Formats: sequence, structure tokens, C-alpha cells
Amino acid sequence: MVTSPRRRILNYAIRYVLLAIAAFLLVYPFLYMLSTSFKPRSLVLGDPTQLIPEDPTLDNYIQVLGVDNFLRYFLNSAAVAVVSTVLIVALSSMMAYAFSRLRFPGKRILFTLIIVGLTIPTMMLIIPQFLLARDLHLLNSLQGLVPFYVGTALGFNTFLLSGFFETIPKELDEAMLIDGAGPWRRYWSLALPLSKPALATCVIFAFLGTWDEFAWALTVLNDVEVRTLPIAIALFQGQHSTSWGLVFAASLLAIIPVLIVYIVFQRFFVAGLTSGAIKS
Amino acid sequence: MTALALAGCTASAGAPENGIGEPGATDISGTVTFWHAYSADSPEVATLDDVIIPAFEKKFPDVTVKSVPVPYDDLHQKLITAVAGDQLPDLVRADIGWVPELADLGVLVPLSEEMPDFQALADATYPGSLATNKWKDAYYGLPLDTNTRVTLYNSGALDAAGVDVPTTVEDLVAAAPALKAAGSYAFADNGASGWNVLPWIWSAGGDITNEDVTEATGYLNSPESVQGIQTLVDLYQGGYMPDIILGDSGGLATSDGLAQGTYATILDGPWMYPIFAGQYPDFTLSAAQVPAGDGGSISVVGGEDIVLTQSSENKAAAAEFLRYLLSEDAQLEMAKVGQMSVLSSLGDGLADINEYYAPFVEQLATARPRPVTPAWTKIDAILQDEIRAAIKGDKTVQEALDSAASQSDALLAQYK
Amino acid sequence: MTAPTAAPPAVTVRSALLRRRRGAAAGGGRREALAAYAFVLPGFILYALVMLYPAVQTFLLSLRDWKITPGVDSPWVGLDNYIRAFSDPAFLDSLVNAVVYTLVTVPMQIVIGLFLAILLDSKLPGRVAFRVLFYLPVVTSWVVVSLLFRYIFSSDEGLANFVTVDLLHLASDNVSWFQERWTSFIAICALGIWKGVGWSMLIFLAALTAVPKDLHEAAAIDGAGVFKRFRYVSLPSIRSALSVVVILLVIGGFNVFISVLLITGGTNDTQVPLTYMYDQAFQFLDFGYGSAISFSLTALVLVVSAAQYWWTRRSMRN
Repeated sequence: MVTSPRRRILNYAIRYVLLAIAAFLLVYPFLYMLSTSFKPRSLVLGDPTQLIPEDPTLDNYIQVLGVDNFLRYFLNSAAVAVVSTVLIVALSSMMAYAFSRLRFPGKRILFTLIIVGLTIPTMMLIIPQFLLARDLHLLNSLQGLVPFYVGTALGFNTFLLSGFFETIPKELDEAMLIDGAGPWRRYWSLALPLSKPALATCVIFAFLGTWDEFAWALTVLNDVEVRTLPIAIALFQGQHSTSWGLVFAASLLAIIPVLIVYIVFQRFFVAGLTSGAIKS
Repeated sequence: MTALALAGCTASAGAPENGIGEPGATDISGTVTFWHAYSADSPEVATLDDVIIPAFEKKFPDVTVKSVPVPYDDLHQKLITAVAGDQLPDLVRADIGWVPELADLGVLVPLSEEMPDFQALADATYPGSLATNKWKDAYYGLPLDTNTRVTLYNSGALDAAGVDVPTTVEDLVAAAPALKAAGSYAFADNGASGWNVLPWIWSAGGDITNEDVTEATGYLNSPESVQGIQTLVDLYQGGYMPDIILGDSGGLATSDGLAQGTYATILDGPWMYPIFAGQYPDFTLSAAQVPAGDGGSISVVGGEDIVLTQSSENKAAAAEFLRYLLSEDAQLEMAKVGQMSVLSSLGDGLADINEYYAPFVEQLATARPRPVTPAWTKIDAILQDEIRAAIKGDKTVQEALDSAASQSDALLAQYK
Repeated sequence: MTAPTAAPPAVTVRSALLRRRRGAAAGGGRREALAAYAFVLPGFILYALVMLYPAVQTFLLSLRDWKITPGVDSPWVGLDNYIRAFSDPAFLDSLVNAVVYTLVTVPMQIVIGLFLAILLDSKLPGRVAFRVLFYLPVVTSWVVVSLLFRYIFSSDEGLANFVTVDLLHLASDNVSWFQERWTSFIAICALGIWKGVGWSMLIFLAALTAVPKDLHEAAAIDGAGVFKRFRYVSLPSIRSALSVVVILLVIGGFNVFISVLLITGGTNDTQVPLTYMYDQAFQFLDFGYGSAISFSLTALVLVVSAAQYWWTRRSMRN
């Protein structure tokens, strides 16, 4: 019954209608940004129901790309984001593995401390963190951003990954134990390959978080040469007036790398090897 | 090497090490870091980086000025964090409201005490702007640029209602019904903070605090101040003013409403001219002085000051750059790109650069600063809440201002 | 992959394992613990340095009337700042707002996110395109979309009024959204949900991939409808992810900040704990009080999260 062709077509049709409605609602404001970014001199936001700009222009994009150092800010952000993402995924997957799969004294306390860290508003930590960065000579440099980006993201990603590692069937671990595999091998050749979707999620979030980070970068970076992209974009907002077309154009350009990372890594969202393994 | 040079300095010079010298010193060198909030696409930043700094560096080849733009909305937070970490730059272009706060924190150099030529520089600026730098008994900065609010009006809307440009509060109130009949609000504003309401209080002859900024009761709730706010309440309750005064955001923006004729008059600053020119090229913006009351036509001073920090390691060079920024050359260059000069001597010349500066220059002669105290941000928030309550009709104006005054007294007492 | 293709009967595996465990308790347990520390410590030390150490310092400053200027004496005030917070009506109001925001946005993000994830968790032509579209709100900057939403809800010409008045006839007159507390929160919550559904969708998508497809097919053949299959096949496998998402969203809900700051600035009784805290600390320079607010909020969120964690653990075990 379920597999009858008519039923299947109906099924698909319903899905597409629902998806299209959701897509429209979710993408609409984005389309508005896109449209405004092609409008000339937009110091005031225009009519949100009018999505096709009257005389579209690439001026905003040309002006954004023409800002001194724009490419440099882009590369600065990319370098920091890539290095931080690699470290975040490596360190948090190791921590998550230990928390969800290994027994050791102090596990509860350490895991609780991770959760506690998640609930503290980071904004209030900014002054103590600033003093720490100063004492460690990490102010005003791109390398100096990395330890702070990684350290602050570890809690979230560890928590997220340990939720996923827990769902790996215990039987698989036990089978490997019998084969004499140590924790390192079980982590590397069992937990990680089985958690590709979760790790991909981590990569996507970690990259987005570090690529977009603004408050800390603004606080510790002074020299123009070491600035990151979000600071450059914020600088398009004026005290009395803002060229929205410019801000939106710059924001849209900044989204591209994040989307590339997303598109590449969402491919791992396919059923892992667990399905075959559990059955037996 | 630097250490050696410094050591040499201390040994030889009788003058205090790292102090501000007389103007025109020739032996200054090193780097001067300057934080400001010019936006990336603004002509101001282009002039600063491509004209003013190169000209200065040409005059003083051994000095390098490092211009550090910080987004305006975030500059205050960055400054505060830098205070805590002792990482302030040499010079900051600070919002006029921040100077008393930073001075109270003890991180600014009292220029009136330590800068030999302070008085001469100060005398050249508008008194309303200069006053924003005073904290307790000293001046901790100098005005760098200024602005104020004047009446901006839509002459078409006024003509349609058959009324003249309102020059007094009475005129405005009298014209309101005719404007309403013609489909326009007489006046619109988008908030009830000091920046918005002080012109009404001052023009009615009222005030916020005593001269020493230690007490608000008897000033903020005086009959004159009440009268000033009552005008706004009456306009709102008569349906002559839109409700955007009750919410910071949303609603038909004052600029859009003015251009479309929905609002006949607004109060705003010189930066509105480029906005109108870009957005409403067919609309001719007209300006007049703030409607006068019993106290005259008194507007509120905006703008920025420049301050020198205590932690600056190169005060001599920093002070020289500060002097240069206040020179006629530099001020004229910045005036060309939309920043009004603080030098009263340039007043008439400003109108030659930009015709629309003229009404602002005239208004600046009498414009006053918001109360110069670190407590102002809090007082401002209280004032806005109380005045909104009065506009909504939850309180009488007298009740609202009595309450604002007594709350302000408590805050001001902390800084006596 | 070492999938146990020719696996021995489960019972034997278990007993063999148990024997091993017992034997290992003496030596193997210690080895496992040592390995565990090697896994945990590199990350944890960094985390402790940049998060926990500053957090302890922030906590200490909440016990003082802290002055930001270095070298200026900051008097010790003990719990005064906390007492002040819990007798400060503005702070308590802000907590109420955060609770409302959380109660509205978290369930919506979960339901819609999960729904989208289920729709996209199949071999549907064009699903990558939809996945990208749904993720767009997540990647656009908070600052930009906050300003955009503020504009969309602007009273007169805004899109929100166009939809409520002209399109749906929900109101006869334009609504001044930002002049009342709860209408402001409609806008703020709408933004929170709009920006968040793609985020929870992503985590659910990742979790759903672990659901064996053949189980679905088997259930379908048995005649189980869509809802039954979800209830008995998908839900049990994503429960862990669900609990993670709920906890993270609740934490995020209580910590709502930028959208409120940029949309209403906390006016008309719309403060949330973080905007209130930000004002106290960075506007009024009362860092001691700001820190006390921050830790009061942390304590509250921890209690809520712990209760949730404990509850989901318990229900998972059953």
C-alpha cells in the first residue's frame, strides 16, 4: 500500500509543499538582504515587500572589495577559523569520548564543570580574559585569538559530541575490547568513523563560531593588519547613518566560506555503518 | 635601544619625562596611537588617513600616527576593557558623554593642568562644546568636532496647511491643528532621552541640574522644565505628534516621515543632509532654529572630544597631534567631509564649505551640553522612562519630573 | 570497519566481557583511567585556563564593589550584590522575560527543527538545496538580522503589519510592536525561532542518520504510519541528541542578548538578564553587580539544566 506509485507521488508532493513553505519563510529576510545589497546608496532600509531592486548595481560589492585590506581580513579570519576548528574538533572529540566511553575518577566533576562553563555568560568574562591574554602576551595577534576561541568552544562541542558518542552501541566497543583494542584505537577506528555526522556538525558549528566571532576579536585586536572580517563589516555601520547595501553586501560575502564548509560537511549526513552492525 | 634613549632623556632633560611640551617642539618622535569611530566607508576616515595624518607626519617626520578605527557601538566597551587592562591608546576621539566618566576613572590627563597652551586652544572653541570636557576642577580633553539639533521642516507640508515656519513653541502649538487637518503631524521625534527633550526644557527656561551638577531637584522639576515637557505631552495627546516617541525603534522614521510630509517638523543634526540627498533626492530639506520659548532657542550639543590618556608613553608627540587636529587646517579639511568644526572662528567659513552648516553654526552659539557627569547615562535612562510615562498619561509631568529629579539627586550624590 | 559479521552469540560476548572486566578491575581500570586523562586533559586544561579561571575571577569580583581602574581599592561587600539582585524589580522582570522567551522559542525550535530534519532525512531530490536554504538564517550575523527584524516589525510600513493587518486581518489597525512589552517579545521570539530552527535541524539530521533505514522499512511493511514510525523507530534513537539540544537551547534562551539589545534596547520593560547585566557592567561600570547578575543567572540555568538532564537520563533508562 505504502509503495503504490500514486501514494508515493502524493507523499513527495506533500513534502515539497511543506519544504517550500518553510524555505520561503526562512529565506525571505535573506532575499531582502540580497536585494538591498544591489541597491545604490541605501542609507535607509527600503520596502520589504519589494525584492527586485529598481536599478540594480554592483557598486556595493565593488566598494566592499575595494576597502583597503578587505582580502587580508578575509584571509585572517579564514586562517584563525581553520586552525581553531581543527583544534576544537580534535580536542572536544577526545574529551567527549572519554566522558561518554571511559571510566575514570573525577569524571563527574570534570563533566559538571564543562556544563557549568556552558551556562556562564561569556560577556562577563571578558575583562578577566582580557587581563589573562595581556599577561600571556596574546593581545593584538591572530595567534592569540586561537587559544581563546578553542577554549571557549570546547564546552559546547564536547557536550554535543558526548551525546552522540553515547548512541554508539556498546556491543561494538565490547567486540573491539575482546580483540584487545585499547582506548585510543577504539576512539580512532570505532567512535570517530561511526560519528561522522556528529563530527561534521561540530566542524560546521566550530567554523561558523570562529569565523563570525566579533566581541573578543574587537576587544583584543588593535592593529589594522591583524583584524578579522567581522570587525571590518561592523566598521561599515556609521554613528549616524549606515549604508545598508554595503553592510549587507559585506555580510553576504562573509557567508560564502561558511556555506562552503556547510555544503561540504553536510555530505556526511548519511546513515553510518551502525545500521548494519546493530542488526546482528 | 629604546631603553637607552629613554635613559638618556631622563638624565639630560630637566623637564618631567614624558610630559606635554610647549607647542611646536621639534624633537618629538615615536608612535601615537589614535582610536576613533569613523566608519569604513565615511569620507571622514579617508581624510584622516590620507590627508591629515600624512600632513602631520610630514611636519614631524619622526612621528608615526596609527589610526585605529573601532565601530562606534563597540568603542565604549573596548575603552572600558582597555582601562581595566591598562591598555589604552595615546589619544581617543571620545563621545562627549564619555569624558567625565573616563576622567572620573582617573585615566585621562587633565589638560588644563598639564598642557601649557591649553587656555589658548580652549578659547578658540565653542563654550558649549568645551564644557563637555570639564570634570570637577579641570578640563580633561578638548572639543574635536561638534554638532547640534535644529528644526528641519517640510515646507510643502507647512504650505499645504497654510502655516509659516514655526520659530517659537507658541507658533508650533498654534499651527498644529491646521497641520493635522492637512494630514501632517506638527512634530515628530523618536525618543524621550536627553538628546531629544533637552531643547524643549532649556528653551522653556528650565534646566536639569545646578551649575556644579550636584543637584537636580529644583531644576529638573522646576515650573519651567515642567512647561517644556508639557508642550510635548500636549502635542502628543492632541494627536499632533506620532507615537514613535514612545519606542526607540520601529514606526515611520523621522527622516522618512519628514520627506513624505507625514511629519511637518523634526529636530535633527547635520548628518541628515547626506541621508536625505541619497534617499530623497527630490525633496528639499529646510532648516530653522529650534522653536524658541521663554528661555530662548536653546539646542543640545553633540559631537566628540579628544582626550589624552595617562598611560600614554609618548605624551609630547600625542599632544602635538592633538594640537594639529585642532588646527584650522585640519578642522577645515574635516569640515569639507561633513564634520563640523569646533573653532568658533571658522563659523562663517563653514557655511562657505557647506551651505547647510549655516543654521547649525547659528544654533551652536547658544547650544548647551547635556549635564557633564559620569552619572548622566543613568539619569538619561531615568529621564526617558519618566517622560514616556508622562506622555502616555500614566503620570502628570510634574510627578514624572519630581521622580526623575529625586532619583537623579541620589546618583549625583555619588560623585560629589 | 570491524563489524561483527560472524559474531558469536551475544550471550558469550557478554560473559566473556564480564570476565574480562572483573579481571581488568585491578590493572585495566587504572590503565583505562590513565588513557582517559590523556584524552581529557589537553582540552580540559585549555578550557580551565580560558573559561574557568576567568569565571572564578568574575565570581570573586561579584563579591566586591569592583572598580575597573587598576590599583584602585575595591571594597569587599560579600553577598550584597546578590541580595541587591534578588530585590531589584528590574532584574526580576528581566528574568520573567527570559523565561517567557525560553518557553516560547525552545519548543518551537525543537518541533520545527525536528520536523524539517525528518522531511529532509531521505533520498529526496533537491534535499541539499533545502538543507542549504534552511541553514541560511543560522549563518547570517545576529547584528544584521536583528536590525532587519526590527525593520520588518516597524509600526507603519513594516512587513509584519502588512501581514497581520492587510493579509491575515488579525488586527484592524497597524500594531506599534515595540511600545508594549509582549508585542515586542513577539518580534524578538520570531527572530529567535527563525534563526534557530536551522541549527536544531542540523543536529537532528546528524542524529537521524544513526537510525537504521531498514528498521523504518520493516515498520512500514508492518503497516506503521508516519507518526508511529517516528514514535517507535526514530525517537528512541535521537533521544540523546534531543536532550542535548533541549539543554543547549534552554541555556541559549536564558542568554538571549544581541537581538534584544538591538531590537528594543531593553526599553518598555523588555530587558532580559544579559542586556540588564550589560548595562550595569559596561554602561554604568558596576561590574560587581553585573557579575552577581551573571552568576545568579548561571545558578538558575544550571538548576534547570540539571533537572532536565536528570529527567531525560531517567526516562532513557526506563
